[in-house]
Amino acid sequence: MIANGRAASVANLGCLVALSIAASVSALAAGPVTAADAARGARLAAICASCHRLDGRDKGIPSIAGMDQKQLVVSMAAFKSGARASQIMHAVALMLSDEEIATLANYLAALPRETKVR
Amino acid sequence: MTWTRRKFGMLAGAAGIAALGVRAAKSAAKARVVVVGGGIGGATVAKYLAASAASIDVTLVEPKPCYTTCFFSNYYLAGMRSFESLTHDYQRLARRYGIKVVHESATAIDPAAKTVMLGGGAKLEYDRCVVAPGISFEFGSFEGYDQAAMQIMPAAWNGGPQTKLLRKQLESMEDGGLFVIGAPPDPFRCPPGPYERACLVAYYFKQFKPRAKILILDAKDTFFEQDLFQDAWNRHYPGMIEWLPGQFTGGIKSVDVKTRTIRTKGETFRASVANIIPPQMAGEFAQKAGLTDQSGWCPVDPVSFESTLQPGIHVVGDAISGGDMPKSAFATNSQAKVCAFAIAAALTGSAPGEPHLYNTCFTILSPDDAVTDSISFKAVAGAIRIKDIFVSQVGESDELRREVAQAASGWYAAFTHDVFG
Repeated sequence: MIANGRAASVANLGCLVALSIAASVSALAAGPVTAADAARGARLAAICASCHRLDGRDKGIPSIAGMDQKQLVVSMAAFKSGARASQIMHAVALMLSDEEIATLANYLAALPRETKVR
Repeated sequence: MTWTRRKFGMLAGAAGIAALGVRAAKSAAKARVVVVGGGIGGATVAKYLAASAASIDVTLVEPKPCYTTCFFSNYYLAGMRSFESLTHDYQRLARRYGIKVVHESATAIDPAAKTVMLGGGAKLEYDRCVVAPGISFEFGSFEGYDQAAMQIMPAAWNGGPQTKLLRKQLESMEDGGLFVIGAPPDPFRCPPGPYERACLVAYYFKQFKPRAKILILDAKDTFFEQDLFQDAWNRHYPGMIEWLPGQFTGGIKSVDVKTRTIRTKGETFRASVANIIPPQMAGEFAQKAGLTDQSGWCPVDPVSFESTLQPGIHVVGDAISGGDMPKSAFATNSQAKVCAFAIAAALTGSAPGEPHLYNTCFTILSPDDAVTDSISFKAVAGAIRIKDIFVSQVGESDELRREVAQAASGWYAAFTHDVFG
């Protein structure tokens, strides 16, 4: 699914936008996604990328690339309310609106679970 | 790039293709961003700008071929991590993101001509410039401490030769010796750093020089996460670490490298190894470029990180007057992303989106005992203020602390991947 060249980099936001559009158009899992939503999703995912690798190659940190959209929304709601304990994720979840979390979840769900490193 | 554009072109049909042709001709003159400084701030800005818009040409100016992180260097001082594991090059930023990495020193900026001058004589033109100069030391704040003295009493507050020098000195120190840490006044890079250093050096001493002692001579009366550190010192290193606040000693007044002595107002301490972390201000390049105010730091707009003194030049990282934001690698990375998105929006005419500023620090008390702080920020009346803050508490379970310590190394791997590609 990933082409050669610059597109192979998952963190390349431009290409991620394209991937995200392609994935959501075909799956239509979470309603329509516009290019603007995808670009916004990529910017929000940049917050996650300080701790979680967006190519899914994490070591010791839970991987979020390709995570089910609903699972991510439910997890973030639990972190926000404190039902699920994590000091770091509590602060992150409180920082994001529910609408931002939904946009982010759509974006992450469209990423490959793991990307080959060049 | 055009993968996206081509796709849209195909969807839009012939008329769309014609329109795209016009756009393609315009984009031949790409917007140019020059980033000065290849530390955490500069590398992050460069990467996220290059990834945000293909129509932006990004040049990263950094004289050194590699960057060694100061964060996690306390692990190296304790013999728990190699120097190489802390060192990162710029090859992936160039290869994966098409960033032009220029290994030269920037000597000046001409804000009127919008050019950055390089040591080799070349000039780089820019539409926007980002300066990420890190910190410099205020020599002269106490007698006897200058660049030369630093080679005997290292600061080791930038990752690099100073870090190696301090490790060498600690290794050759006799058992029963005194290790003195001079902790700086606020604001300074890495607020938990000097105290984490005491922890991890104590961990090393405990194994190899059990009679050694650590003395922290602080310029301050309190420090970040003080209760967590003092609790950890008592539990893990009883009787080994002494902390003297500024109100007891008046702070360091002078040092003598020949005798390795450190003087306060009323006392003289003879150190076996001395780690003097001097008072700090913005990196020298920021001062030369007219980006600092009388505080010694760079005032910036908290949403775009554009200098309030020099329009068109943005500053990120430890060098800024960050309000409530600590001078940490994580905070710098967060600022750099917000800055990159703001610049991309300004240059491409798109919406920048809501800025999110965040910081978390993993602080290591012993190999199986680590704590964190998690802080979100918001811009209030031109300044960065805390929104929410959560910090580890004294008395947490061993299991939780062990989990945090384990997460720390996973975080380092992911974070440096985020910064250097």
